[in-house]
Amino acid sequence: MDAWGTFITLLGGVPVTLSISIISFLIGIVLGLPLAFVRVYEKRARYLVDVYEKVFRGIPEIVLLLLFYYGLRATFPFPFGSPFFVACFVLGLRSGANQSQIYRGAIRGVGDEQMVAGMSIGFSKWKAIWHIMIPQVFNFSTPGLGSEYALLIKDSAYVYIITVVDVMFQTDRIVHSPPYDQVTSYVLAAIIYIALTFPIAFWLDKWGNKRKKKIGL
Amino acid sequence: MTNYVMEARHLFKTYVEKKAKKTKEVGGDTCPTGKHIVDAVQDVSLQIRKGDIKLIFGPSGSGKSTFLRCMAMLETPDKGQIFLGDEELTKSGVDVNKARARIGFVFQHIYLFRHLTALGNVELALRQVLKLPKEEARKRALDALAEVKVSDCINRYPSQMSGGQAQRVGIARAIARNPDIILLDEPTSALDPELTGEVIDTLRDLAREGTTMLIVSHEMPFAREVAEEMIFYDEGKIVETGPPSQFFNAPNTDRAKRFMDRIINRTTRE
Repeated sequence: MDAWGTFITLLGGVPVTLSISIISFLIGIVLGLPLAFVRVYEKRARYLVDVYEKVFRGIPEIVLLLLFYYGLRATFPFPFGSPFFVACFVLGLRSGANQSQIYRGAIRGVGDEQMVAGMSIGFSKWKAIWHIMIPQVFNFSTPGLGSEYALLIKDSAYVYIITVVDVMFQTDRIVHSPPYDQVTSYVLAAIIYIALTFPIAFWLDKWGNKRKKKIGL
Repeated sequence: MTNYVMEARHLFKTYVEKKAKKTKEVGGDTCPTGKHIVDAVQDVSLQIRKGDIKLIFGPSGSGKSTFLRCMAMLETPDKGQIFLGDEELTKSGVDVNKARARIGFVFQHIYLFRHLTALGNVELALRQVLKLPKEEARKRALDALAEVKVSDCINRYPSQMSGGQAQRVGIARAIARNPDIILLDEPTSALDPELTGEVIDTLRDLAREGTTMLIVSHEMPFAREVAEEMIFYDEGKIVETGPPSQFFNAPNTDRAKRFMDRIINRTTRE
């Protein structure tokens, strides 16, 4: 296979790589955002959040993937045990732990005064969080979220190990078939990954700066 | 049935101020633990009737702001009772958030919601706390903004306003709900003299309309003009209360006398 053919084949894995990263990023928001607020504003539950963060940040990606894949596949029927689902689930859980820390810093950035001001107009704690803190939290977390997204794209390369057909899976397949051209394949894979991470991280940064300017920071 | 809009009975609040670990000896005063217990409110009682304008003043760090925040239940008092009308806010099980909707609060450092425009800042509570329909909320918000004379910047974000405009939006945010009382925590201290004038004018308008207000402020000319009662607050206690004339002519306590002397000599303008 020539370089162009290799490139086209690798591109075939892009939709899968992208959808895994995006889905797990969204799972990360859904988990990380509430947990960050619980960590900051609910003294009683903060240790649980700590444990979750430590566990998922402390275990290597690949161990988690294999553990969940073989664990879930044995327990649950098809859609939940499928390689794609497990990949999103594991990366999402890990991203939730990372994002929780990102948002926690952002909450401090927004500042407790905004919270007090929210309470002063008659909001409960959770209502103030919803209407006042959350809309501002994203302004303070864009740099962190940018690198978190890049991390997800890159770490999604591990999922080929549980037979998800992503960019890395295609690369591996080509490398292990004639003419065994490893250098070309890996260089092309590297280019594709760069192309996937760079624009989004760049755009997030830009968007964040614009928002920050608007709210006067 | 009380005839007070708001009342504090024997309120106490202390808090621990964490200082830098190594505090240097200053005049023999050491702080070996790095902690410092502040008695911000010590047995303070206060009654406010409808239409009252009371003004609290005193040295900085004396606990005035803490007292005001306790009144609004933004901080929970350690001991004592707070009544809003007939409802005791300090009783356990009371929905403090609901009560807070009936109290307007204006902050020294303004604290507008930075992600919302002036209109959004005022509308938020009307929509989400009072649950008014969209048009009515908008109308009341615009009325409140017109009352404080900032109709020209309703679509601006806090970062795009001057301090005086922002603080007047802060006042609009507090009055739009038609609260029973407005608590103002040094509303002009963060502003330069020119902008202070704008905000004072707004407060004067509110006073003319009979708004019930408890104000922490050191704007003495304003106090003399609108306050029914002035309260001298020091070291967590009410030292002396009386009409402005008493403080401006002959305060009863030495402490108040010294403080008034200093303030009046400083306030050479007007």
